[in-house]
Amino acid sequence: MKVNFTLNGKKVQAETAQSIRLLDLLRDEFNLTGTKEGCGIGECGACTVLLNGYAVNSCLVLAAQIDGSEILTIEGVAGEKELHPLQKNFLKFGAVQCGFCTPGMILSAYSLLGQKQDPTEEEIKDAIAGNLCRCTGYKQIIEAVKETAKEMHAGSYTSVNDKR
Amino acid sequence: MKTSIEILTPKTLTEILGILSERQEILTLIAGGTDVITGLKQESKRFKDTEVLVDVNHVPELKEIKHMPEKITIGAAATFSEIYNNSIVSNELPILKKAVSTIGSMQIRNRATIAGNFVNNAPCADTVPALLVYNATIEIESMNSKRETYLQEFLQGPYKTQLKKDEVVTKINIPVPTKSFTGDFYKLGRRRAVAISRITLAVLMELKENKINKIRIASGSVTPIGTRFPELEIFAMENDVNDNLFKTLASRMGEEIIKITGLRWSSAYKLPVVQQMFYQLLKGIERRSL
Repeated sequence: MKVNFTLNGKKVQAETAQSIRLLDLLRDEFNLTGTKEGCGIGECGACTVLLNGYAVNSCLVLAAQIDGSEILTIEGVAGEKELHPLQKNFLKFGAVQCGFCTPGMILSAYSLLGQKQDPTEEEIKDAIAGNLCRCTGYKQIIEAVKETAKEMHAGSYTSVNDKR
Repeated sequence: MKTSIEILTPKTLTEILGILSERQEILTLIAGGTDVITGLKQESKRFKDTEVLVDVNHVPELKEIKHMPEKITIGAAATFSEIYNNSIVSNELPILKKAVSTIGSMQIRNRATIAGNFVNNAPCADTVPALLVYNATIEIESMNSKRETYLQEFLQGPYKTQLKKDEVVTKINIPVPTKSFTGDFYKLGRRRAVAISRITLAVLMELKENKINKIRIASGSVTPIGTRFPELEIFAMENDVNDNLFKTLASRMGEEIIKITGLRWSSAYKLPVVQQMFYQLLKGIERRSL
């Protein structure tokens, strides 16, 4: 079947088996390998992407289900010239060690900041509870998200979609 | 996972019912897919005959949450995030909101749906005890029939419901709770987030002149299916509210659970935890009712 959707801001079409997972579609058809497969059963969050702005596990979405939707992967987060403030702050706060959870972690945080400009620590924890990290530790990640929210609040960035 | 599976994406309820009226043996309904897709991937026996998935996500009337004069109606395919963020649910159904907030992760709550939580009648479905204390009914349709049943009756046994192969759950109806009711929900999992529940409890209670005027009690996970405790509810009513009553109720609740499940290897742990948590729920509700 043909699936039409918006991928990282561009309209795309894929010819694919209907029952293929969104995760495989992104990695195998579009070579967007920033989206990782961890557990494959919706527990680890490594495959997190945004579906119409909301974080979902791409291992639990089928290609046929995204027809007409907007998908954002980690490859679509940075601007043309600069990394996204979330990415910069992940680097600044040492929130990346092995990096396997990082794309999903950033997308969960991105979705949160899209809905709440000034999240509490509890809201940050809740937003990334579905993203398992086994080496960096969550503290640095939470601090990076907090700092980004603070920058957005201070007006350095108008919204989470603000790209440079 | 079978690659030959076909996926249909009907846009109206009539279309869904039309599809379900034939070839039911090879059809499986899918909404959030958090259960079905993992099941298919693991080649679960539940889906061995599935050749076609019917995706019900694109039918707006199955997603609506509405406040009618007497009841609140929640579309079967409303996601947990949609329910959690809905102002009607926040104002009128706090126990459901709390139950929903404990489910899975944000990613799961953004996809998983309320009817999907109970149509396979897993004992650990977190919304079930909350829906049971709210006396929820569900509407079920097929091409030739439309019926409404209490959720408790719909849930027949572990992984068994009344749902027939040509039927779809369309709505959950909840009578608007009177403001004098206070309640709470408790979930115990093996960790604090993204956990499958081991024990869930829901209580809804109305206190009047220091007596329990009405009370509804339900559990999940700790019983084979989510269930109410009618005998305990009757016993509790018209009693003076004090610490002793709550202790007696907690102890009797444990006895009733053992009556249903028999002693299990986990009873030594779960029983005192259920009793203690139930006691604390009652104390908390009492505090907030004063």
